[in-house]
Amino acid sequence: MGLWLARRAVQAIITFVIALTLLFVLMRLAPGDPVQRLEGERPMSPQEIARLRQRFGVDQPIGRQYRLFLGGVARGDLGTSIEYNRPVTALLRERLPATILLGGTVILVNFTLGMWLGVRQAQRRGSAEDRLLTAVSLAGHAMPSFWLALILAWLVGVRLRWLPSAGLSDPLLGAAAPIAVRALDVAAHLVLPALTLILVTLAGTMRFQRGAMLEVLRLPYIVTARAKGVTEVLVTWRHAWRNAVFPMVTLLGLWLPLLVTGSVFVEAVFAWPGLGSLAAAAAGNRDYPLLMGVAILSGGLLVGSSLLADLAYAALDPRVRLS
Amino acid sequence: MIRSAPPPPALLLLALLAAAPASAQRPASSIVIVTGGEPSMPVPTLMEGPQNQVANFEVADHLFLRLANLGPGLVTAGDRGFVPMLARSWSRRDSVTLVFELDPRAHWHDGAPVTARDVLFAFARARDAAIAPKLATLTQHIAKVEADGDHRVIIRFTHPYAEQLYDATWHVAPLPAHLLAQLPPDQVAGSPFLERPIGDGPYRWVRRVPGEFIELAADTTFFLGRPGIDRVIIRSAADPDARLNLLLSGQADAMDNVPPPLSNLQRVAADPDVRLVRVPSPTLGFLLFNQRARRDSTRPHPILADADVRRALVLALDRQVLVQAVLGEYGEVPFGPASPVLWIRHGAGAPLRQDRSAATRLLAARGWADHDGDGVLDRNGVPLALSLSYPGSSAIRRAMAQLIQEQYRQLGVRVDLAQFEFPVYLERRDAGDFDIDFSSTTQDPSPSGLTQSWTCAGGTNRAHYCDTAVDSLITRAIAGQGDTRTLWRQVLQRIEQGAPAAFIYAPTYVYAVNRRYRDVTIRPESSWISLWRWSVGPVASPQTAGY
Amino acid sequence: MSPFGAAIRAAARDTRGRAGLTFLSLLLLLALLAPAVLPDPAAQPDPLGASNLPPSLLHPFGTDPLSRDLLSRVVTGARVSLAVAFLAVALSITLGALVGVAAGYLGDTVDTALMRLVDGALAIPRLFLLLLVLAVWERVPVLMLVVFIGTTGWFGTSRLVRAEVLRIREESFIRAAEALGARRRRIIFRHLLPNAVGPLLVAATLGVGDVILVEAGLSFLGLGVQPPTPSWGGMILDAKSVLVTAPWNAIFPGLAILGTVLSANLVSDALRDAVDPGSA
Repeated sequence: MGLWLARRAVQAIITFVIALTLLFVLMRLAPGDPVQRLEGERPMSPQEIARLRQRFGVDQPIGRQYRLFLGGVARGDLGTSIEYNRPVTALLRERLPATILLGGTVILVNFTLGMWLGVRQAQRRGSAEDRLLTAVSLAGHAMPSFWLALILAWLVGVRLRWLPSAGLSDPLLGAAAPIAVRALDVAAHLVLPALTLILVTLAGTMRFQRGAMLEVLRLPYIVTARAKGVTEVLVTWRHAWRNAVFPMVTLLGLWLPLLVTGSVFVEAVFAWPGLGSLAAAAAGNRDYPLLMGVAILSGGLLVGSSLLADLAYAALDPRVRLS
Repeated sequence: MIRSAPPPPALLLLALLAAAPASAQRPASSIVIVTGGEPSMPVPTLMEGPQNQVANFEVADHLFLRLANLGPGLVTAGDRGFVPMLARSWSRRDSVTLVFELDPRAHWHDGAPVTARDVLFAFARARDAAIAPKLATLTQHIAKVEADGDHRVIIRFTHPYAEQLYDATWHVAPLPAHLLAQLPPDQVAGSPFLERPIGDGPYRWVRRVPGEFIELAADTTFFLGRPGIDRVIIRSAADPDARLNLLLSGQADAMDNVPPPLSNLQRVAADPDVRLVRVPSPTLGFLLFNQRARRDSTRPHPILADADVRRALVLALDRQVLVQAVLGEYGEVPFGPASPVLWIRHGAGAPLRQDRSAATRLLAARGWADHDGDGVLDRNGVPLALSLSYPGSSAIRRAMAQLIQEQYRQLGVRVDLAQFEFPVYLERRDAGDFDIDFSSTTQDPSPSGLTQSWTCAGGTNRAHYCDTAVDSLITRAIAGQGDTRTLWRQVLQRIEQGAPAAFIYAPTYVYAVNRRYRDVTIRPESSWISLWRWSVGPVASPQTAGY
Repeated sequence: MSPFGAAIRAAARDTRGRAGLTFLSLLLLLALLAPAVLPDPAAQPDPLGASNLPPSLLHPFGTDPLSRDLLSRVVTGARVSLAVAFLAVALSITLGALVGVAAGYLGDTVDTALMRLVDGALAIPRLFLLLLVLAVWERVPVLMLVVFIGTTGWFGTSRLVRAEVLRIREESFIRAAEALGARRRRIIFRHLLPNAVGPLLVAATLGVGDVILVEAGLSFLGLGVQPPTPSWGGMILDAKSVLVTAPWNAIFPGLAILGTVLSANLVSDALRDAVDPGSA
């Protein structure tokens, strides 16, 4: 096991580095660069353009830029954002809490409520409840996230004024307000964006869980367990679900990086200061350092969660042998 | 039993209340403004490159004062019409020298007085091309800035020209030398000063919550008068629908430019708590016709190099309908490349109306007719087909492009739409890889900005438009030789004649402000610069009719 | 007859499967017949007076902000949206299944190589691959669009399939087949795939809706269909700014997408039952 872990870790690092390199190259090959984008709205003199190119380091050959970048990463310095003129690490640190709050909430609800509903659907397969849940969850999935976001923001935020329509907190509260009040304020702001994302993603978790449970429930050993008189609850959760949880582990592994990149549309409509919208804006602005910073975060998470998922498979089912 | 007088303890309480200072009773008034950009670096001389954006300028204008502001007419030429700010008065010593007397009451938010040294320091940084390339270009005609005592500044220019006072006052706001002089220029951006900038303006910095808002507080000792609103919160939300929702839900009190489409304006207009304020915008949208071949700028464009064809293309459009359909009454068709914020626009002329028959005649005279009956004009077997490039991010241009395509189709001109991501669109435009470029530009109040795009040697003249008569007119106008107003008018008229572009729209920005604010003025050159003069009434209940 | 051929026939016999297939064929038929009966989807009769009209007898789905008839746009849009959605999803599913099974069953170096490739690919945002495509091609035909979306959308699916395979390759029936000396190819196609098909079908259903919206995002950036050619996802994106004031702009294309997703779901459920007869 220890050997396997060590090998996997090395593979993970190598993959990570290669992916980053590829991304670095792709970014610079893509049309447009940060200086050109600035020329877009206001005319700039040639001297200004030259100065800016030098400042952003885009006038250097690509090999040199890459070496500078790698050297920086090794030192823990992710460079300075072109758009904000501030260190990338500072920007990431500022936006991470909001992202984790929203992403974490959505993942938590999906992997509790979603899994439970999926199991329930499998148990009551073909029933009215099963069909209704399918239809509703698919409707939520087929709806574009910004659509649902706009409808909820308008209905609940503007029309009914039950909850704030956008933002993370109320600026008028002031920095001196007590913690409990501030926490409640953030929670109120969290409801709509989280609800939007949950409604849109629940279909995924539910359907995968339902499908997996259906597969497992028909297996002979389940029939045996029932015949032996094991209660339905135990049959479902102790015997069946342990095998039906595999796709969920995979899904969780795939979704964890979303904790970082988030949902761009939902963050935009609710003015949620997360990394998703930051990264999307950085892509459009060709803000290379910021983009690479986000890629390092999410890429690292991805590679790490892939490793964790493999470990989980082995832990959940001792018959599974990993290469 | 009738009580003839309140019991003694109540009397004492009343007396105490009457004696208490008024401010203790008055709750802090506030305003929450929501904008699209995030101000991350609102400090003069640091707003270069990507930080050279409206959000930063607007916040900087609350914190830092200029020597003088533009007057209501936005006239940038000459010495009259400017409003004294840090400079109490100024005088002209000779054709290349201006002398400014600083107001001795002006002080920085940490108490230190504003002196001539601060002015010199800011100019020194601004004129250094290594620190501030854009500002250095803008202030290139300033030869020398000297101090004469603590409160007098002498500014010398390289040569006589019309906009000396504008150049001396608009571009550079003084900085606190006593706080920044010891810092090397490249360290200012990451310094503590940026965490809490110290300025001399009507508002002082309170805090910044990244990605969300900036909070400012009124400087009660501001020498030109105490600001009427105590707390200013500038909230940023990049998505236009998010901004709109913040306004309509009451979470924001004011908003810059209600975004298109028209239905949004109608929604805001229907909100009883909110008032609309029209502000001329510095934006100009136009179809730029490439006069050189797409991938080979040494050869003329096979279709658009012909001035008559270009004139026909301008005549073929019903620009009034385009503006009305997309902007409603909140926009106009410009005359030449002049947005409403350019003072030269007034009295210059009226744009041509659609005249399809004239357009067809012009085209026929140049050999374009539908010889093969496919609905598209052609000449020598070549169809009159052009591609129209524009960025997908611009909602106005996206909508108008489709309307334009349809209008041209009715004339027999085939227009293919080429929508691109913004940087891709820019790259193609800069490489000259376009037939018609749907450009949008933001103009400074000074008409000298026209040199970049409309003179033969202009740096951003991407369509290779060249008219030497226009060049000489512009040179003379900038130098102030003769009646500048007439000269600029002639510039615009000649450009319209040469038809290098079809000038489509100059939108009117529509700001939204909660009705409880009074004395509201929004300035086109910097939206909230007069905010400190506003005052606020009690929070209006939704049912009141407003003020 | 291969198990797949039998499965497809069985699905078509199933009532749900039939319902789903019927809806989709109807949609396609409408899309092909549309030009004969419906107004030109690109025509803008009266942008000043007739834009954003609510549904009426003249315009059953209303008009869009540029006064175009929404019904004809939704029907015409079916062509692009359905074609791209189904072809791209088919491509993704196939690639995901092949890679997932190969990695899960063939193990060792194959697994390592493939899964590390998938990890790396997931780390790169689609946007940049797309921009590269833009840099190389001026105009991207719909087929290339399908290929692009299909080849960038299978990574997650392959991981899901691999997980299934890891789980069932230890099952007795697989062991038995191996013991009997069956060739690997036979085991894979006859035994593994049919049992691992669960996540594939779910991914297919969900994929259809996703791809339609991905295509919309791509047109926004310059890839894919250019205006005025309608596509459902594109119409929904355009409707964002009038969502509250003229909701029909988003409702009708949205219903079309929902209908397609539900049909795909019905068909996939039918397929699952056909392929996996034991799951009664």
